[in-house]
Amino acid sequence: MNLNVTKLMGWLAALTLVAGMVMGFGVAPRETTQGNVQRIMYLHVPTAWVAYLAFGVVLAASIAYLARRRAGADRLAHASAEVGVVFTGLTIAAGSIWGKPTWGTWWTWDARLTSVAILFVMYLGYLLLRGMIDDQERAARYCAVLGIVAALDVPLVHFSVYWWRTLHQPPSVLKPGAATMPPAILAALLVNVVAFTLLYVYFVAKRVRLLRAESEALA
Amino acid sequence: MADHWNFVAAAYGLAILVLGGYWRRLVRKERELMIAGDQRSRQRSISGHPRSEPASRHPLP
Repeated sequence: MNLNVTKLMGWLAALTLVAGMVMGFGVAPRETTQGNVQRIMYLHVPTAWVAYLAFGVVLAASIAYLARRRAGADRLAHASAEVGVVFTGLTIAAGSIWGKPTWGTWWTWDARLTSVAILFVMYLGYLLLRGMIDDQERAARYCAVLGIVAALDVPLVHFSVYWWRTLHQPPSVLKPGAATMPPAILAALLVNVVAFTLLYVYFVAKRVRLLRAESEALA
Repeated sequence: MADHWNFVAAAYGLAILVLGGYWRRLVRKERELMIAGDQRSRQRSISGHPRSEPASRHPLP
């Protein structure tokens, strides 16, 4: 992605984030059961979606790297893993803040929360592994394997609410059949999902550019 | 149920801090790389030894 397109993506992300805030706080109604604290959903769900997306990209780029050994695929996996860790951390933190007033606890070791925590730690390990190995080619190869193994946790995270008894509610949108929420709330959620996805693309494009510049400076 | 606006503010405030902080880190790194690149090209032009073409950098057989 060239510099101008990256900049445009950044502005688009900023504008849709503002639109998402307006939708989440101005258009979407107050939820009757939880009250206004439910508005944390417009942050928690999009960041969780972006985390899924980021680690899906890591999986695809890691497979591509192992198949073709192109440095570009490795840089994409690296950038996406880093951005994914940021968004996963945010998902956990926002979920915890939402959990306190609604569940009465900041944290519980149920299947969804535990599998997300494992995902977060695995990708933190991925980033640490990159920093520990000096040989770029070897680091890329090891991280590609770890990136693929760690991505297997994503379906486990998503389906954990069906497979085990959890405090966390099952998905309302990413599930078979129609979404189970009022249209105004769904619209606000979808605008925020688009906004955070654009922000993810912007961050990854910027990070890939930096990684390329770093490797050129080292060469 | 009470609205708990303080929890809402905490969640969104944290998101602004984390995402804004990450963005600033990327921008700072970009600037550092640009400055380092400028310094390298300036040193090359001062020393009068332009960087050789990639083909000539291959080791001799």
